[in-house]
Amino acid sequence: MVAVIVGLKLTLLRNGLRRSVWRIVALVIGLVYGVGIVLGCWAGLVALRFAPADLAAAVTVLGFGLLTVGWLLMSLLVFGSDETVDPAKFALLPVPARRLQPGLFLAGLIGVPGIATTLIAAGLIATWSRNPVTVVAAVITVPLGVATCSLLARTATSAFAQALSSRRFRDFAAVALALFGASIGLAINAVTNASRGFEPTVLLAILHRTGEVIGWTPIGWIWSVPAETAVGSPVIAVVKLLLAAAFLAVLWLAWRYFLSGSLTSPLESGGRTRTTVRGNLAERLFPDTPAGAIASRVLLYWRRDPRYLAAIGGICVAPIIVIVTQLINVDHGSRPVAAFAPVFISLLLGSVVTTDISYDGSALWIHVVTGVSGMADRAGRAMATAVVIGPIVVIMTVAAVLLSGEAHLFSVVLALTIGLGLIGLGVGCWAGSVWQVPVPPPGQSPFQRNNSGGLASLASMGASTGLTVIIGLPTIVLVILSYWFGWLAYLAIVVGIVSGALAIRYGVRIGGRRLEARWPEVLTRVSAKT
Amino acid sequence: MTLYASDQPRPPALDLRGLVKSFGQKVAVRGLDLRVEQGRMFGLVGPNGAGKTTTLSMATGLLRPDAGEAYVLGRDVWNDPPAAKALMGVLPDGLRLFDRLSGRELLRYVGRLRGVPADAIATRSEELLDALGLASDADQLVVDYSAGMTKKIGLACALIHAPRLLILDEPFEAVDPVSGEGIRTILRGYVASGGTVVLSSHVMELVESLCDSLAVVVDGQILAAGTLDEVRAGESLQQRFLNLVGFRSATHAGESEVLAWLRSSSV
Repeated sequence: MVAVIVGLKLTLLRNGLRRSVWRIVALVIGLVYGVGIVLGCWAGLVALRFAPADLAAAVTVLGFGLLTVGWLLMSLLVFGSDETVDPAKFALLPVPARRLQPGLFLAGLIGVPGIATTLIAAGLIATWSRNPVTVVAAVITVPLGVATCSLLARTATSAFAQALSSRRFRDFAAVALALFGASIGLAINAVTNASRGFEPTVLLAILHRTGEVIGWTPIGWIWSVPAETAVGSPVIAVVKLLLAAAFLAVLWLAWRYFLSGSLTSPLESGGRTRTTVRGNLAERLFPDTPAGAIASRVLLYWRRDPRYLAAIGGICVAPIIVIVTQLINVDHGSRPVAAFAPVFISLLLGSVVTTDISYDGSALWIHVVTGVSGMADRAGRAMATAVVIGPIVVIMTVAAVLLSGEAHLFSVVLALTIGLGLIGLGVGCWAGSVWQVPVPPPGQSPFQRNNSGGLASLASMGASTGLTVIIGLPTIVLVILSYWFGWLAYLAIVVGIVSGALAIRYGVRIGGRRLEARWPEVLTRVSAKT
Repeated sequence: MTLYASDQPRPPALDLRGLVKSFGQKVAVRGLDLRVEQGRMFGLVGPNGAGKTTTLSMATGLLRPDAGEAYVLGRDVWNDPPAAKALMGVLPDGLRLFDRLSGRELLRYVGRLRGVPADAIATRSEELLDALGLASDADQLVVDYSAGMTKKIGLACALIHAPRLLILDEPFEAVDPVSGEGIRTILRGYVASGGTVVLSSHVMELVESLCDSLAVVVDGQILAAGTLDEVRAGESLQQRFLNLVGFRSATHAGESEVLAWLRSSSV
């Protein structure tokens, strides 16, 4: 079974590469980054071989602990989990989840992140080649550690996917995702806060302390096994090894639980029927035009499709992290930075509108066949996004300014959030007609990504954010100048709104025309089962 | 009006000229010509992979042809899409609907995209939902519908703006006999009142009992076209179709050897 599934994964990868040049480009870029990171880490790990054992212990535990958290964070917020081999596809075969698990697990590791992590972890053997016992400990650590990374990410994404798709837990899951982001902010804050002393000896002491603390958390148990062996507490090493093994077992069983769930009831049809309320508010918000119809439909989707919820979470987490980090840190936090944090959302708004058309999947045929104008399509999506994100941005702006106690910054922050937000909408209208990003298909886990999907959406996010900044330059310059000439802040608001209105006008117009000229091609791209 | 119509021949409901489409190496449709006069119930039949769906996609503006032209009631689908699309109602096969909407919401959505006045949408959707037996499930999300119900709501969406030409890809697939009869009644009434239906199917009996004319597509080309009797040429449609396609029954090859392992239960 293992060989069959791993073979399937390799075949799917090869066929995917054969089908699209961009897949190859994405893979090559990923490989270049991966090789660079692996070589860098190896150099560090080999150097640590000659460092004092306690320093090597602190650094490796801290570093690999962060790597583990990175797997969790990146899967939840950016890349999703690699579901090239989709477990739900095995639903018809007479195979229980138990027998699929090993194969799916190994298949999940095949890919740049999995291989890079394995290679980096293997570097630990060099660091701990101090005596036979530490070598043995390191050799045991490598597979268990890599398994922890991968299983943690998989279990977390399946858990959140399940929660987001059920109505009862959806809001809870969205809040949990935001809190999760905030708590990461707290953790970063704790470390930076403590490291303000800036003296080498103090820094070293902090390094040891954090290394020790992380070594006692689930993410550090396994990584600190060789460290404990070397520093000379074999009993603790054994205890941690047992803890790590128990944690892995729990993750394995939790993953099996979710896997069995997706084998018997794919997310697509949860088994329960859902009834809607007639006479929705969503329709009365918008004008009675095709654009209004599209806007109200997208608005309903923000509520009913977990992929949209995950998108909101994705763009709101960063500012929340920044605000929490800066405000908790009473002594050293930068209050202005907290006040400006909501600007992040406006910057990322463009990528939300860009992705919207891809979320439709092949259902987009309805827009093509009804002959609805491309401009109506663009305008409708922009309106719905504005109605959802607009209030969030305004509330966050007010909250950030009030909480940070920097009330005098209100006008400049408002200029940036409103100006860049409107420009982002316009940029998204245009960009969405130019490139369509691979997204998880409708009804699937919002965290599901196939190979290269993550990179493509990152590139798209970067491009639309960059464009938003370029068009927003006049506003940004005025905001900077208002540091010396206060009244310029109000001019910045006006310029922001005007350039935003222009961006929306031309984004809708140019994007709309582009769509009309290329409906069939766009439809083909968004229906492709990436 | 009548004078005008007798002066000028009425344009065909659907006119496809020299359509070509290839996907990479594979040529799906090779120079296909097809003319469907107004007021016909026209069946497009052919084996799997013959190019039926590809042809209908090119006729409806969903797939750009490599070469060739498509006209709907004289309007060029690829040079004047809005005019041509306004006259067509389309039910494609194998494409999603906006399935996080309820049946009623989806119908209203398509109506609004088509620019149908709000009160007309309201009355028409109630009638359509009733006629297709969807009234009791109208407030459920389409994603929870069965395959047959999804077909039916798709058909309702194709009808909501009272089109003059209906293009339906496999409209009876997964539809139960009762609803099937309901759909046939709707389509017959529609054609009787001057509308035109082009539907694809690979169920010969269905085409034989419903359509008045048809075309046989094989390997991306029309092998035979005309009225039902012209194409049948005295045989049953099933037999005629098998002859056209060049079918050689598997059992003729070696009697009992074919799929022999399937005959006895091996467990």
